[in-house]
Parts: sequence; structure tokens; C-alpha cells
Amino acid sequence: MYALVDANSFYASAEEVFDPTIRGKPVVVLTNNDGCICAMSASAKRLGIKSFSPYFQVKDLLHEAGAIIRSSNYALYADLSRRVFEVTGRYAQQHVYSVDEAFLKFSNQHSSSTAWFDIAQDIKHTVWLETRIPVGVGMANTPTLAKAASFAGKRFDKFNGIAVLDSPEQVHYVLSNMQCSDVWGVGKRIAARLHKMGIYSALELAQYPPAQIRKAFSVELERTVRELNGTVCFSWNDVKADKQQVFASRSFGERVDKLEILNEAISFHAQRVGRKLRQQGSVTRKISVSAQSSPMQPNHYKRNVVRQFITPTNDDRKLVGAAISAMAEIYCEGVSFLKCSIGAIEIEPEATMQCDLFSSNDKDSALMSCLDAINAKFGNHSLKVASQGISDKRWQMNRKYLSPEYTTKWGDIPKFTC
Amino acid sequence: MKISRQKIQAGITGFESPANEYIDVALSLDELLIQRNSATFIGQARGNSMTGFGIFNGDLLIVDRAAPRSNFDIVVATLNGEFICKSIDRENRMLISACPERKIYLLMPDDDYQEEGIVISSVRLHRKLSRGR
Repeated sequence: MYALVDANSFYASAEEVFDPTIRGKPVVVLTNNDGCICAMSASAKRLGIKSFSPYFQVKDLLHEAGAIIRSSNYALYADLSRRVFEVTGRYAQQHVYSVDEAFLKFSNQHSSSTAWFDIAQDIKHTVWLETRIPVGVGMANTPTLAKAASFAGKRFDKFNGIAVLDSPEQVHYVLSNMQCSDVWGVGKRIAARLHKMGIYSALELAQYPPAQIRKAFSVELERTVRELNGTVCFSWNDVKADKQQVFASRSFGERVDKLEILNEAISFHAQRVGRKLRQQGSVTRKISVSAQSSPMQPNHYKRNVVRQFITPTNDDRKLVGAAISAMAEIYCEGVSFLKCSIGAIEIEPEATMQCDLFSSNDKDSALMSCLDAINAKFGNHSLKVASQGISDKRWQMNRKYLSPEYTTKWGDIPKFTC
Repeated sequence: MKISRQKIQAGITGFESPANEYIDVALSLDELLIQRNSATFIGQARGNSMTGFGIFNGDLLIVDRAAPRSNFDIVVATLNGEFICKSIDRENRMLISACPERKIYLLMPDDDYQEEGIVISSVRLHRKLSRGR
């Protein structure tokens, strides 16, 4: 049996944990740079605003409704996420899938669905008790069906955040009430192609011959179909594949027209990419660097430059060096830049890295491990390449509505009136 | 210049400390004060109504959401949108302070009251915290 534990409107719920004044109110959390809406509490959802709407479009509506606006407080979310999974990890073998979702794999058998229901109920209750984060639990025989169960648990009136699909009738009921695009692993593009084949509901997808799906699409989608029919095809390794590309980008807090400042920003992002690569044990052969002005403005300017390394690397110093040299090519005087980005686009595992016969072996992983250890201890970006600059972070994110870091900064811990 | 890669001992190094083996056993306050990591958070007392229970303005309070409950626990709760720290008489639904001016607060049905967790310990800071990180 598999369970998917999924936090409800996680970012918005997290904001409510240490701020009793906003509980129950419409809470809206904005993405990086306060650009778009990325999470809404239940009462904010009732205002009828779509997720990922640009904030400025719905600002007045939110203001009128007395909504609480928050910038993304990643330090808080990371800490609360860790707590939630510490609780759920007690129940079974756990695979954390994202900041607010984890799969649990139960190896034991229960004969009755009430026994599973009780476990799901207990998970939901205990997570709430210990962390004040509301979660839903979906249970079924495969990861894909557990995902469907979790979807049903949240969207169908008949369930109350918990759905256990352990009979063919239950599975049938849920799949017939789901769109094929609601199925885990079916994106918009695949859904559009499925529609052309006359497949609309998840049930129709499940009933399609898997071999033909494989021919028309891919092995992955075939597996999805088999999983909908109760055969486990995905293992933890498939579920958490190493990323094939690692990107770091962000819009600037205000427009940037100086090369030095672009260099500071791209150095910052290059170091983020380096850290992500090292975390997954990868190196990259190529990076792609780009910068652009606002597409809304006339004379939209965008350039992209690719740099290749002779020996694949994850060394911050090399990534930063290459990024800065690329930026010199991209930069154009008189352009107000809105955004820059860097991506590692040809990634391979560090363990099986092919070295160049003639290049000196200048891999300096000890230095980077040391840097990562220092930053793990004293906070990200405590130690950084100097080209990031040290003051006047005009290109940094706007986070105007940031709540305190209640659980990760001594100065921000909650205060209790005595 | 020729360089010898041979390691040569220079000066007096003495004996290796016999304590090296025990280097990892230092005391940890977390280990002492926190029983359930996932359920525990830290906050700070503001005000003087709990001094009779030994909680002073500025003390750090360690709060466990999952600690077993009993009557007259010292709790952190939300009362009408505010975090408070009081002793609770669960049977009579009373919040008890420990100062002469404010002895008890009777919880009414229209009060928005929710218990957050039990104060399992408090830490007095006799000097200002040096790190504001």
C-alpha cells in the first residue's frame, strides 16, 4: 500500500502557524519578487482568484477583501516541511517528493479498508497536532493511484481530505470523476494529444491498451497506465531522478543597466547552480547564460550565450568565471535589464565523469565541500565569491511582505504575552 | 631545488591526547530540553504576569505541542488572535496568572481560544543574547 501525504496550501498554511492574527483570513503568498500568487488559504481561494495570477492584477480585489499578503518565506517553509516529514516518516518507508508532498510505502498488510483509513486519519491528526500544518492523505496500491486518491480526497465532497482506494469500485469511481490531465505524470501537452485520441477522463486513459500508449507516447506514460490499473511500476529511484538541467534565474528588484551589477547577479545565480549540482552529485559540461529586458517594453532585448568546459565541473569559481565572461558578450549599453539566468545544460554524474587527457586535473572538490559545509552551518551565502558584491543588492529579490523567520532566526522567534 | 616528500618529524609533539576518543560526547542543550523535535518550538515571554510561576519578561520558553497534558499545565495558547502564556485550569476553563493584579481569566464561549502547546521548560537569559542571527 502506498500513501501520499500532501499539505493543504502549504505556504499559506505555514504563514498561519506562528501568526494567530491571520488564521482563517484570506492569506495569499507571492512568488519570488512578489510577482505572482503562488499559494492561497482556503478563504482566499473562495475569492475566485486563479493561482499564479500576477499580483498587480488582483491587488485591489485582495485589498478590498482584507486579504493578508505575504512574500515567500523559504526559511520558514523549509523548517516546517522538515517537521511534517519527520512525523510522517515514523509511519513507513518515506520518500519526500517535494516541499509539501511525501510518499509512504507500507510493507505490511491490512485486510480491511477501515484499518488503512484509521492509519491515514492518524497521520493527518498527528501532523496537525505536532506541526499545525493541515495535510491530506491518499492511499492506494500504486504511487500513481495514491496521487489520484489524494486528489480525490481534496476535491471530491464525499471525502474529507482522506481517501483510501483499496477496492476496484473505489478506483473506478475516482478515475471516472477525474480528467486525464489530473493524473500524475500527464502534462498539458500530453493531455491535448490524448483528447485527440478521444481520451478525456482518467478512467478512459486507464482502459486504453498500455502497449498502444507506449507506441504513441512513451514508456513513462505506459507505466502510468499500468499503475492506474494497480500494477506498481515506479520505484523511488524513478520518482526522484536527478535533474537533467539546473537553472537559477530571477527578475531583478529594479531594472539594471550596469554591467557590474549584472555580473554581481549572475555570480550569485552561478553559485546557486554550483550548489545544486554538488547536492545531486553532478557536474556540467555546458552552461547557458542569458539576460533580457522586459518583454512588455518596446525594443525587447534578449541574448543567450552558451559556454563549454573542457572538463565538466561543479566548481563555483569556474561557473562564476564562465558566467561573467558570457555576460560581457550579452551586455548592451542602454538596455534596462529585467532578468538574468544561468543554467547547467549538459549534466553528468560526477562519479562517472570523463576527464580530458590533456587537461590538468584541477578538480578541487575538497574546497567546494568546505564551502558547502560553512554555508550549511552559517546560512546560505555566508561564504561566497567576491564578484557577487557586498553591498547595495539592488538586483536582489523584492520581498516586501516577508514574515519573520520564526523558527530559524533568534531575533524572530514568536513572542508570548504573559 | 630538490624536494623530498618524506615526512620528517620536527620538534616535540608529545603524546596524542587520550581524550581524543571522547571528543563527540559534549553535552547538548537540545538533547536535554527537546524531546520531540517536530513538535517543539521556541518563543520569548513578554510581560510580568507569570513571575510567580518563575517565568520572567524575556525568558525563552520551550513549547512542545505534543507533550502529555495535565491540569494546571503552563501553556502557550492563542486567545483572540494573540499568543499568550498562562497556566490552565482545564476543568474550570480558567487561565491563571501569577501576579496579584490579574489572577484568573474565565474562558467564555465566544472567546477564540486554542491551545498551542505545553511550556516544558524555560531559559532565563541573565545577559543579553550576543548573537542576533
